[in-house]
Amino acid sequence: MAFLCLLLPVLVGAQGERPQAPPAASPVPAPTRGPSVTLEGREVQVPVTITSSGPMFGLSPLVDLIGGELTSDESGESISLRIADKDVVIGPGNAIITVGDAIFSLSQPPTQGEGGLQVPVDFLTRTYGDILGYVFEWRPETARLTIARRGERELAVSLDVVHLQGMTTVVLQFPEEPRYQINRSQPGAIVVEMISDRLTPPAPKEIQDPLVQAVAIDPQRVRIQLAPGVQAASYVLENPFRLVFDVHQTSSVDVPTGPAARTEQAPGIRTIVIDPGHGGSETGAIGPSGVPEKELTLQLSRELAAKLGRLGVRVLLTRNDDVVLPHDTRTAIANQNKADLFVSIHLNSSLGSGAYGTETYFLSPQATDSRAARAAVAENAGPAGAGTTGADPAAQDLELILWDLAQSHHMAESQRFANLIQGELNQTLQLRDRGVKQAPFRVLIGATMPAVLVELGFVSNPDEEKKLQDPAYRDQLVEALTRAIARYKSQVEHTPEPAAGGAQPGSAAPAPGQVPGQPAPAAPAPAAPAPSRPPAKVGRPA
Amino acid sequence: MSRRAASFILGFALALLVGAGLWWWLSGRVGLRHVGATAETEVPTGEKVGFNLYFPADGGDLRSEPRELQVTEAPKDRIRKVVEALLAGPKGSGLVRPFPEEVTLGTVQLGKSGIAYVDLRWQDHPDPPPSGSTEEIQRVYSIVDSIVLNVPQASRVVLLWNGTQRETFSGHLDLSRPLGPDRGAAAPAASDTPQ
Repeated sequence: MAFLCLLLPVLVGAQGERPQAPPAASPVPAPTRGPSVTLEGREVQVPVTITSSGPMFGLSPLVDLIGGELTSDESGESISLRIADKDVVIGPGNAIITVGDAIFSLSQPPTQGEGGLQVPVDFLTRTYGDILGYVFEWRPETARLTIARRGERELAVSLDVVHLQGMTTVVLQFPEEPRYQINRSQPGAIVVEMISDRLTPPAPKEIQDPLVQAVAIDPQRVRIQLAPGVQAASYVLENPFRLVFDVHQTSSVDVPTGPAARTEQAPGIRTIVIDPGHGGSETGAIGPSGVPEKELTLQLSRELAAKLGRLGVRVLLTRNDDVVLPHDTRTAIANQNKADLFVSIHLNSSLGSGAYGTETYFLSPQATDSRAARAAVAENAGPAGAGTTGADPAAQDLELILWDLAQSHHMAESQRFANLIQGELNQTLQLRDRGVKQAPFRVLIGATMPAVLVELGFVSNPDEEKKLQDPAYRDQLVEALTRAIARYKSQVEHTPEPAAGGAQPGSAAPAPGQVPGQPAPAAPAPAAPAPSRPPAKVGRPA
Repeated sequence: MSRRAASFILGFALALLVGAGLWWWLSGRVGLRHVGATAETEVPTGEKVGFNLYFPADGGDLRSEPRELQVTEAPKDRIRKVVEALLAGPKGSGLVRPFPEEVTLGTVQLGKSGIAYVDLRWQDHPDPPPSGSTEEIQRVYSIVDSIVLNVPQASRVVLLWNGTQRETFSGHLDLSRPLGPDRGAAAPAASDTPQ
């Protein structure tokens, strides 16, 4: 008895100390009057669910009221909302959303509820707020969401046009991020149109540039008139906010893409996710002079994203800032956006001396074991455990078989793509070829598309570290990667290949089943380009 | 007090004294025997056995170095001795130690399924050293290959850092599941055959 008396408080204490799972977003009682939504002063009917993480609002009625187009794919894995010229991609149950090329993490994931998909306030702020200039204010004491249009802002804009190494860069700098959309519908011109903001134009500036004929700025828009035969890719830089256009001659690597080849069902490379390795407190390798890998990978990825614009593909960066990003989130971004290629950019280091050159990895088979497959199938069933997992063993087995088929297909395609990258990097730049290799790299696990990790040199090698800090050298690396992607794209889409700068497709390709870190001996034939999507999309890590 | 009662008390006291002495003597004997038995098992009964240790090498590879280590038959003891020798560093040129000198070996476990659990410890360093992928491969597979290619009872290895299993050491290799050997990277040279 005495023993029990002594033991009981310990057990009770242990119970109290047991780690608690984070509180689920469970419904909690709402104020007696009930939550409400007002738009420009009048009450509107929008379903509201109060959860412990905050209120959730029915998206569909808000789209009807404010504007936009809501579409869902057949599987229900991905929902798209088009506002102005921007696509918002939502994965129900996933807190990560993509708005245009930017990626945001929400306070709680959009979920299916009353009135269809329900979203938190920060979703509305990131979408309708940033794109159309609406202000969303939630007052918990009255349980009321107030929606109003933000007043017009006067934003000063400055303009810089620089021509360097055959490329013109046009930079529009703003004191804060404007609400704008880019209109490319006019031939030979790019128009940046303001949405509920007004510009204060700078003093007129005469442009003498071989690729840009004129830049006209009025309070509503900026119009960049391009010279004939040139293209421009745009991207954004922060602090201060800058809208940047890289303008270049139409290159030989451009792949003709006719409308017929762009149908939804046709194999193709339409979306590419570029993953700058490491970030935040996870620095990656540190060079002898102190340069962290994370900075160079971000620079290279931004530069690659800008160049890929010329291929007419949608390009997403998994991170555009110096932040820690979990590996699973990186692949989830690619899966959620139905990317056709995933390229993780890294720089290398080694113990010992004398290591230099480039290498490209794809996933090794030991990383695609049954546990990973079961996890992916379970994740694909959704957060509520819906779907086949756990409910129907036969259906689950079928999904596992499909997962296995999809993984085999992805590995073969990843290998083909990796080989093109190595060929371009090494034959064009005359770098040391460390080969195409396989390893159980965490960031490649769970990607449901061809996925590679490219090591673009050793920052631990003083010579390579110095070269990697040279913008001209980085431009050569990025150009080689762009050519490799263009060649892979043309192979998949059955279009004429651009001029090769390097290896023949399929040459010296490694075989799946290769051990980690080792070049593989066998070479699969490039043969018929495989469809860009797997037979069934079953893996979607959240 | 009668003389009879006094004799009884004296006899009882004498018996108590003898009993206590006997107990002390016997417990001391048992204690000695126990100490003796412990000391006997602590005496190394193993023998010198040849191993190939896989160290990071110049050029970003792993290269084997033959070693003789004093080990017992117990696989766990062999794993421990192999990892300790790796952490102590190579003897040959062109090879380097896989982890900083302050990194030590904590617990070693070997499960029935052949999975070895190896805990590496570095005080005041919650994270392993930052590195690129080749450096991480050299570190991780230096341990994994040296264990799996030398101790047949271990087929895969789980590496822990300060007692915790991590997703990766430095952002590349998936360490959330047991790793098999990278036989290609660690293939011993012909002359490196164990003694």
